[in-house]
Amino acid sequence: MKDCEELGDCPDARIEKLYDYLDGELSHKDLVEIKAHLDSCAECAKEYDLECVIREVVKRSCTEKAPTSLKDNILERIGQLKTAGH
Amino acid sequence: MGTQASVSEQLAADFQLNVTLEQRRRSAAPSNGRVDFPPMNTTAPAGSSSTENNQLDVSAESDADRKARFERDAMQYVDQLYSAAMRMARNPSDAEDLVQEAYTKAFSAFHQYKPGTNLKAWLYRILTNTYINLYRKRQREPLQSHSDTIEDWQLAKAAEHTSSGLRSAEAEALDHLPDSDIKNALQSIPEEFRLAVYFSDVEGFAYKEISEIMNTPIGTVMSRLHRGRKLLRDLLSEYALERGLGTPAAVEGVKGTKQESAK
Repeated sequence: MKDCEELGDCPDARIEKLYDYLDGELSHKDLVEIKAHLDSCAECAKEYDLECVIREVVKRSCTEKAPTSLKDNILERIGQLKTAGH
Repeated sequence: MGTQASVSEQLAADFQLNVTLEQRRRSAAPSNGRVDFPPMNTTAPAGSSSTENNQLDVSAESDADRKARFERDAMQYVDQLYSAAMRMARNPSDAEDLVQEAYTKAFSAFHQYKPGTNLKAWLYRILTNTYINLYRKRQREPLQSHSDTIEDWQLAKAAEHTSSGLRSAEAEALDHLPDSDIKNALQSIPEEFRLAVYFSDVEGFAYKEISEIMNTPIGTVMSRLHRGRKLLRDLLSEYALERGLGTPAAVEGVKGTKQESAK
Protein backbone atom coordinates (compact mmCIF):
# COMPACT_ATOMS: atom_id res chain seq x y z
CA MET A 1 0.00 0.00 0.00
CA LYS A 2 2.81 2.39 0.84
CA ASP A 3 4.43 2.19 -2.56
CA CYS A 4 1.62 0.93 -4.72
CA GLU A 5 -0.02 3.71 -6.69
CA GLU A 6 -2.66 1.66 -8.47
CA LEU A 7 -5.47 2.85 -6.24
CA GLY A 8 -4.49 6.50 -5.95
CA ASP A 9 -1.69 9.01 -5.71
CA CYS A 10 -1.31 9.18 -1.95
CA PRO A 11 -1.75 6.66 0.89
CA ASP A 12 -4.85 8.50 2.14
CA ALA A 13 -6.56 8.35 -1.23
CA ARG A 14 -5.70 4.68 -1.56
CA ILE A 15 -7.07 3.67 1.79
CA GLU A 16 -10.24 5.70 1.19
CA LYS A 17 -10.75 3.91 -2.07
CA LEU A 18 -10.58 0.64 -0.15
CA TYR A 19 -13.11 1.94 2.38
CA ASP A 20 -15.54 2.80 -0.40
CA TYR A 21 -14.92 -0.57 -1.97
CA LEU A 22 -15.68 -2.37 1.27
CA ASP A 23 -18.71 -0.17 1.87
CA GLY A 24 -20.13 -1.21 -1.49
CA GLU A 25 -20.25 2.39 -2.64
CA LEU A 26 -18.30 2.20 -5.88
CA SER A 27 -19.43 2.01 -9.47
CA HIS A 28 -19.30 -1.36 -11.14
CA LYS A 29 -16.28 -0.27 -13.18
CA ASP A 30 -14.25 0.81 -10.13
CA LEU A 31 -15.31 -2.31 -8.33
CA VAL A 32 -14.00 -4.61 -11.02
CA GLU A 33 -10.74 -2.68 -11.24
CA ILE A 34 -10.10 -2.82 -7.53
CA LYS A 35 -10.98 -6.45 -7.27
CA ALA A 36 -8.52 -7.24 -10.06
CA HIS A 37 -5.90 -5.16 -8.33
CA LEU A 38 -6.41 -6.85 -4.98
CA ASP A 39 -6.03 -10.21 -6.65
CA SER A 40 -2.63 -9.27 -7.95
CA CYS A 41 -1.17 -6.96 -5.30
CA ALA A 42 -0.21 -8.62 -2.04
CA GLU A 43 0.45 -5.31 -0.30
CA CYS A 44 -3.04 -3.92 -0.98
CA ALA A 45 -4.63 -7.29 -0.25
CA LYS A 46 -3.01 -7.11 3.17
CA GLU A 47 -4.54 -3.68 3.76
CA TYR A 48 -7.86 -5.03 2.61
CA ASP A 49 -7.66 -7.94 5.03
CA LEU A 50 -6.81 -5.58 7.86
CA GLU A 51 -9.83 -3.40 7.11
CA CYS A 52 -12.01 -6.51 6.99
CA VAL A 53 -10.74 -7.59 10.40
CA ILE A 54 -11.47 -4.16 11.89
CA ARG A 55 -15.04 -4.32 10.60
CA GLU A 56 -15.44 -7.81 11.97
CA VAL A 57 -14.18 -6.92 15.43
CA VAL A 58 -16.34 -3.78 15.60
CA LYS A 59 -19.37 -5.79 14.64
CA ARG A 60 -18.52 -8.54 17.06
CA SER A 61 -17.94 -6.18 19.99
CA CYS A 62 -20.87 -3.85 19.55
CA THR A 63 -23.94 -6.03 19.52
CA GLU A 64 -25.38 -5.82 23.00
CA LYS A 65 -28.72 -7.36 23.76
CA ALA A 66 -31.22 -5.02 25.33
CA PRO A 67 -32.36 -5.93 28.87
CA THR A 68 -35.58 -7.93 28.66
CA SER A 69 -37.38 -5.30 30.70
CA LEU A 70 -36.77 -2.68 28.02
CA LYS A 71 -39.18 -4.14 25.52
CA ASP A 72 -41.86 -4.45 28.19
CA ASN A 73 -41.30 -0.88 29.32
CA ILE A 74 -41.66 0.40 25.79
CA LEU A 75 -44.85 -1.54 25.19
CA GLU A 76 -46.25 -0.32 28.47
CA ARG A 77 -45.40 3.25 27.64
CA ILE A 78 -46.86 3.26 24.16
CA GLY A 79 -49.90 1.46 25.55
CA GLN A 80 -50.57 4.54 27.62
CA LEU A 81 -50.27 6.86 24.63
CA LYS A 82 -53.08 7.87 22.40
CA THR A 83 -52.11 7.35 18.80
CA ALA A 84 -51.36 10.65 17.14
CA GLY A 85 -52.53 11.65 13.71
CA HIS A 86 -56.25 11.46 14.32
CA MET B 1 -4.86 19.23 2.61
CA GLY B 2 -6.58 22.63 2.38
CA THR B 3 -8.19 22.15 5.75
CA GLN B 4 -8.48 25.87 6.48
CA ALA B 5 -11.16 26.49 3.91
CA SER B 6 -12.84 23.16 4.44
CA VAL B 7 -13.05 23.52 8.20
CA SER B 8 -14.91 26.80 7.87
CA GLU B 9 -17.17 25.24 5.27
CA GLN B 10 -17.83 22.40 7.61
CA LEU B 11 -18.47 24.74 10.50
CA ALA B 12 -21.03 26.48 8.34
CA ALA B 13 -22.57 23.15 7.42
CA ASP B 14 -22.63 22.06 11.05
CA PHE B 15 -24.16 25.31 12.07
CA GLN B 16 -26.82 24.75 9.47
CA LEU B 17 -27.39 21.28 10.86
CA ASN B 18 -27.66 22.63 14.38
CA VAL B 19 -30.14 25.25 13.28
CA THR B 20 -32.19 22.63 11.51
CA LEU B 21 -32.12 20.38 14.55
CA GLU B 22 -32.99 23.26 16.81
CA GLN B 23 -35.96 24.11 14.60
CA ARG B 24 -36.99 20.51 14.60
CA ARG B 25 -36.68 20.32 18.35
CA ARG B 26 -38.80 23.40 18.80
CA SER B 27 -41.38 22.30 16.31
CA ALA B 28 -41.50 18.90 17.96
CA ALA B 29 -43.72 20.30 20.72
CA PRO B 30 -42.83 17.84 23.47
CA SER B 31 -45.99 18.59 25.45
CA ASN B 32 -48.27 16.51 23.26
CA GLY B 33 -45.62 14.09 22.08
CA ARG B 34 -46.08 15.06 18.43
CA VAL B 35 -42.92 14.82 16.39
CA ASP B 36 -42.17 15.32 12.76
CA PHE B 37 -40.32 12.49 11.07
CA PRO B 38 -41.08 12.34 7.38
CA PRO B 39 -40.48 9.05 5.62
CA MET B 40 -37.02 7.98 4.52
CA ASN B 41 -36.17 8.36 0.85
CA THR B 42 -34.52 5.00 0.81
CA THR B 43 -36.63 1.95 0.31
CA ALA B 44 -36.62 -1.04 2.56
CA PRO B 45 -33.64 -3.31 2.01
CA ALA B 46 -34.16 -6.64 0.37
CA GLY B 47 -35.00 -9.34 2.84
CA SER B 48 -36.85 -7.02 5.19
CA SER B 49 -40.16 -8.14 6.53
CA SER B 50 -42.75 -8.30 3.79
CA THR B 51 -45.26 -6.89 6.20
CA GLU B 52 -43.49 -3.55 5.83
CA ASN B 53 -44.12 -3.52 2.13
CA ASN B 54 -47.84 -3.89 2.03
CA GLN B 55 -49.61 -1.15 0.18
CA LEU B 56 -51.37 -0.02 3.28
CA ASP B 57 -53.83 2.84 3.52
CA VAL B 58 -52.46 4.33 6.71
CA SER B 59 -55.16 7.00 6.94
CA ALA B 60 -57.89 4.36 7.10
CA GLU B 61 -56.14 2.33 9.75
CA SER B 62 -57.65 2.10 13.23
CA ASP B 63 -55.59 3.00 16.29
CA ALA B 64 -55.56 -0.61 17.37
CA ASP B 65 -54.38 -1.77 13.95
CA ARG B 66 -51.64 0.84 13.90
CA LYS B 67 -50.48 -0.20 17.33
CA ALA B 68 -50.43 -3.84 16.27
CA ARG B 69 -48.50 -2.93 13.14
CA PHE B 70 -46.00 -0.95 15.20
CA GLU B 71 -45.49 -3.81 17.62
CA ARG B 72 -45.07 -6.27 14.81
CA ASP B 73 -42.78 -4.22 12.54
CA ALA B 74 -40.89 -1.81 14.78
CA MET B 75 -40.35 -3.74 18.00
CA GLN B 76 -38.06 -6.25 16.33
CA TYR B 77 -35.30 -3.62 16.29
CA VAL B 78 -35.10 -3.00 20.05
CA ASP B 79 -31.81 -4.86 20.50
CA GLN B 80 -30.22 -3.11 17.56
CA LEU B 81 -31.32 0.32 18.68
CA TYR B 82 -30.16 -0.40 22.20
CA SER B 83 -26.75 -1.37 20.91
CA ALA B 84 -26.56 1.87 18.93
CA ALA B 85 -27.77 3.81 21.97
CA MET B 86 -24.88 2.33 23.92
CA ARG B 87 -22.54 4.05 21.47
CA MET B 88 -24.34 7.32 22.14
CA ALA B 89 -25.25 7.36 25.82
CA ARG B 90 -22.25 5.41 27.08
CA ASN B 91 -24.01 3.68 29.96
CA PRO B 92 -26.77 1.05 30.03
CA SER B 93 -29.27 3.10 32.01
CA ASP B 94 -29.10 6.14 29.73
CA ALA B 95 -29.12 3.89 26.69
CA GLU B 96 -32.36 2.30 27.89
CA ASP B 97 -33.94 5.70 28.48
CA LEU B 98 -32.85 6.81 25.06
CA VAL B 99 -34.32 3.80 23.29
CA GLN B 100 -37.53 4.08 25.25
CA GLU B 101 -37.85 7.76 24.39
CA ALA B 102 -37.08 7.08 20.73
CA TYR B 103 -39.70 4.34 20.52
CA THR B 104 -42.27 6.56 22.17
CA LYS B 105 -41.56 9.27 19.60
CA ALA B 106 -41.60 6.75 16.79
CA PHE B 107 -44.98 5.46 17.88
CA SER B 108 -46.38 8.97 18.08
CA ALA B 109 -45.08 9.68 14.59
CA PHE B 110 -45.84 6.27 13.12
CA HIS B 111 -48.62 7.69 10.93
CA GLN B 112 -45.84 9.63 9.14
CA TYR B 113 -43.86 6.51 8.38
CA LYS B 114 -44.55 5.37 4.85
CA PRO B 115 -44.93 1.59 4.64
CA GLY B 116 -42.44 0.12 2.18
CA THR B 117 -39.74 2.65 3.03
CA ASN B 118 -36.86 1.75 5.27
CA LEU B 119 -38.34 1.33 8.75
CA LYS B 120 -35.07 0.46 10.45
CA ALA B 121 -33.35 3.57 9.08
CA TRP B 122 -36.39 5.64 10.06
CA LEU B 123 -36.15 4.36 13.63
CA TYR B 124 -32.41 5.02 13.69
CA ARG B 125 -33.01 8.58 12.58
CA ILE B 126 -35.47 9.11 15.41
CA LEU B 127 -33.00 7.58 17.85
CA THR B 128 -30.20 9.84 16.61
CA ASN B 129 -32.43 12.91 16.81
CA THR B 130 -33.60 11.99 20.26
CA TYR B 131 -30.05 11.62 21.37
CA ILE B 132 -28.98 14.95 19.91
CA ASN B 133 -31.93 16.76 21.43
CA LEU B 134 -32.01 15.13 24.82
CA TYR B 135 -28.54 14.10 25.74
CA ARG B 136 -25.90 15.87 23.83
CA LYS B 137 -24.60 19.10 25.21
CA ARG B 138 -21.04 18.92 24.06
CA GLN B 139 -19.92 21.39 21.42
CA ARG B 140 -19.56 19.89 17.99
CA GLU B 141 -16.02 19.55 16.84
CA PRO B 142 -15.09 21.01 13.47
CA LEU B 143 -14.82 18.30 10.90
CA GLN B 144 -12.80 18.16 7.78
CA SER B 145 -15.06 18.29 4.79
CA HIS B 146 -14.67 15.98 1.88
CA SER B 147 -15.07 17.27 -1.63
CA ASP B 148 -15.69 13.89 -3.22
CA THR B 149 -19.20 13.09 -4.24
CA ILE B 150 -20.53 9.86 -5.54
CA GLU B 151 -21.44 10.49 -9.15
CA ASP B 152 -22.31 6.99 -10.08
CA TRP B 153 -25.24 5.56 -8.22
CA GLN B 154 -24.93 2.32 -9.99
CA LEU B 155 -23.76 0.83 -6.76
CA ALA B 156 -22.53 -2.65 -6.38
CA LYS B 157 -21.60 -4.64 -3.35
CA ALA B 158 -17.95 -5.44 -3.05
CA ALA B 159 -17.55 -8.96 -4.28
CA GLU B 160 -16.42 -11.38 -1.65
CA HIS B 161 -12.72 -10.97 -1.92
CA THR B 162 -11.09 -14.21 -1.12
CA SER B 163 -8.72 -13.43 1.67
CA SER B 164 -5.15 -14.49 1.10
CA GLY B 165 -5.33 -16.58 4.25
CA LEU B 166 -2.02 -15.05 5.17
CA ARG B 167 -3.16 -12.38 7.53
CA SER B 168 -0.64 -9.76 8.44
CA ALA B 169 0.69 -9.66 11.98
CA GLU B 170 -1.32 -6.49 12.52
CA ALA B 171 -4.58 -8.04 11.38
CA GLU B 172 -3.93 -11.04 13.58
CA ALA B 173 -3.18 -8.78 16.54
CA LEU B 174 -6.34 -6.69 16.12
CA ASP B 175 -8.44 -9.82 15.84
CA HIS B 176 -7.19 -10.86 19.28
CA LEU B 177 -8.10 -7.64 21.03
CA PRO B 178 -10.80 -8.06 23.68
CA ASP B 179 -14.23 -6.56 22.97
CA SER B 180 -13.69 -4.00 25.73
CA ASP B 181 -10.75 -2.55 23.80
CA ILE B 182 -12.79 -2.24 20.64
CA LYS B 183 -15.59 -0.48 22.51
CA ASN B 184 -13.14 1.83 24.25
CA ALA B 185 -11.48 2.71 20.98
CA LEU B 186 -14.82 3.46 19.38
CA GLN B 187 -15.88 5.59 22.34
CA SER B 188 -12.62 7.52 22.09
CA ILE B 189 -13.20 8.85 18.60
CA PRO B 190 -15.38 11.92 18.04
CA GLU B 191 -19.05 11.18 18.21
CA GLU B 192 -19.96 11.99 14.60
CA PHE B 193 -17.20 9.70 13.40
CA ARG B 194 -18.15 7.00 15.86
CA LEU B 195 -21.80 6.92 14.86
CA ALA B 196 -21.00 6.94 11.15
CA VAL B 197 -18.61 4.02 11.61
CA TYR B 198 -21.13 2.19 13.75
CA PHE B 199 -23.98 2.66 11.28
CA SER B 200 -21.75 1.45 8.47
CA ASP B 201 -19.89 -1.44 10.11
CA VAL B 202 -22.48 -2.85 12.46
CA GLU B 203 -25.71 -2.06 10.65
CA GLY B 204 -24.36 -2.06 7.12
CA PHE B 205 -26.27 1.07 6.18
CA ALA B 206 -25.36 2.64 2.83
CA TYR B 207 -23.90 6.15 2.76
CA LYS B 208 -27.24 7.52 1.59
CA GLU B 209 -29.05 5.91 4.49
CA ILE B 210 -26.48 7.20 6.97
CA SER B 211 -26.86 10.66 5.48
CA GLU B 212 -30.60 10.51 6.15
CA ILE B 213 -30.16 9.08 9.63
CA MET B 214 -27.61 11.72 10.59
CA ASN B 215 -29.36 14.44 8.62
CA THR B 216 -26.17 15.42 6.87
CA PRO B 217 -24.91 15.46 3.25
CA ILE B 218 -23.35 12.31 1.81
CA GLY B 219 -19.98 14.09 1.42
CA THR B 220 -19.97 14.71 5.16
CA VAL B 221 -20.86 11.09 5.85
CA MET B 222 -17.93 9.96 3.74
CA SER B 223 -15.60 12.37 5.47
CA ARG B 224 -16.75 11.19 8.89
CA LEU B 225 -16.37 7.57 7.89
CA HIS B 226 -12.94 8.03 6.41
CA ARG B 227 -11.60 9.96 9.36
CA GLY B 228 -13.34 7.74 11.87
CA ARG B 229 -11.95 4.57 10.32
CA LYS B 230 -8.42 5.94 10.31
CA LEU B 231 -8.62 7.08 13.92
CA LEU B 232 -10.12 3.78 14.99
CA ARG B 233 -7.47 1.81 13.21
CA ASP B 234 -4.67 3.84 14.80
CA LEU B 235 -6.19 3.41 18.25
CA LEU B 236 -6.64 -0.31 17.81
CA SER B 237 -3.04 -0.62 16.69
CA GLU B 238 -1.97 1.28 19.79
CA TYR B 239 -4.01 -1.00 22.03
CA ALA B 240 -2.55 -4.06 20.36
CA LEU B 241 0.92 -2.69 20.94
CA GLU B 242 0.18 -1.98 24.60
CA ARG B 243 -1.02 -5.51 25.01
CA GLY B 244 2.16 -6.81 23.46
CA LEU B 245 0.39 -8.10 20.36
CA GLY B 246 2.62 -7.64 17.34
CA THR B 247 1.92 -4.86 14.87
CA PRO B 248 3.94 -3.84 11.83
CA ALA B 249 4.96 -0.64 13.61
CA ALA B 250 6.30 -2.65 16.52
CA VAL B 251 7.93 -5.07 14.20
CA GLU B 252 9.63 -2.33 12.19
CA GLY B 253 10.91 -0.86 15.43
CA VAL B 254 12.82 -4.00 16.29
CA LYS B 255 14.01 -4.63 12.75
CA GLY B 256 12.05 -7.76 12.16
CA THR B 257 13.51 -9.83 14.93
CA LYS B 258 10.17 -11.17 16.05
CA GLN B 259 7.72 -11.31 13.22
CA GLU B 260 9.32 -14.31 11.66
CA SER B 261 9.16 -16.32 14.85
CA ALA B 262 6.79 -18.76 13.15
CA LYS B 263 9.64 -20.06 11.07
